[in-house]
Amino acid sequence: MRPAEQPVIADEPNTSDVVDLDTPWIVLVWNDPINLMSYVTFVLQKLFGYSNEKATELMLDVHEKGRAVVANGSRERAELDVYRLHDHGLWATMQQDS
Amino acid sequence: MRRRKQSGPVDVTPDGMFVLNLADDERQSFNHFLDELESLLNEETDDGRLRRLFPTAYHNDALHDAEYQRLMRSELLQSRRTAIDISRRVLDSHDALSEGDLMQFMQTINSLRLVLGTMLDVSENDEAQEIINDDDPNAPQIHLYAYLGWLLECVVDALQSSLD
Repeated sequence: MRPAEQPVIADEPNTSDVVDLDTPWIVLVWNDPINLMSYVTFVLQKLFGYSNEKATELMLDVHEKGRAVVANGSRERAELDVYRLHDHGLWATMQQDS
Repeated sequence: MRRRKQSGPVDVTPDGMFVLNLADDERQSFNHFLDELESLLNEETDDGRLRRLFPTAYHNDALHDAEYQRLMRSELLQSRRTAIDISRRVLDSHDALSEGDLMQFMQTINSLRLVLGTMLDVSENDEAQEIINDDDPNAPQIHLYAYLGWLLECVVDALQSSLD
């Protein structure tokens, strides 16, 4: 068990990525057979400020379940995130959360 | 006799820079792959081999996707060209590299893998490409794909270690 005084590693992105329930767009990353698992984890850490633990969890979701929601927000924000993921070669799409 | 220190293709310096340990012939070959990727990008970006470099953004929404492609495709193309230019600089220099330059090199290695993987029609089941049959007509491309995977893994490890 972790002692109480040990700093807690943030597993959420920075404030600009905080979930807003009024802006129901989600960004999905899809499994693909080419991208390396270590690469996907690193890109998620770098682009969204996730901890290694959080990014690894998302990467494993993508690998095992076929896809994972990696971010959400306004349509503009989601489109920018999709672009950044495409720029890094990840297979990302966005849709309105239903 | 002093044993030569075994070093990987990427070292992290104490001041957080990176050194690429690639032989001159590797650098030359890599430059050749960059030329090929660039000439592919100079053709039509709807070439099937490039489909993983320009993916769909809107799932099941052709109208919004067309708009996204209209706005973002040229930006994506420009960004890939810039990454190729920076990668050439990275390969030409033996100086220590910044994190930003190594990131651009990493993205270019990944772009090459995406194109090669698409051409080879790599699937989840092909994960263990460790034993390559040299009689396979695609053997040179499979070797290259494996090499790029190894190099990418090493670059990611180095960048990851600087994040920790």
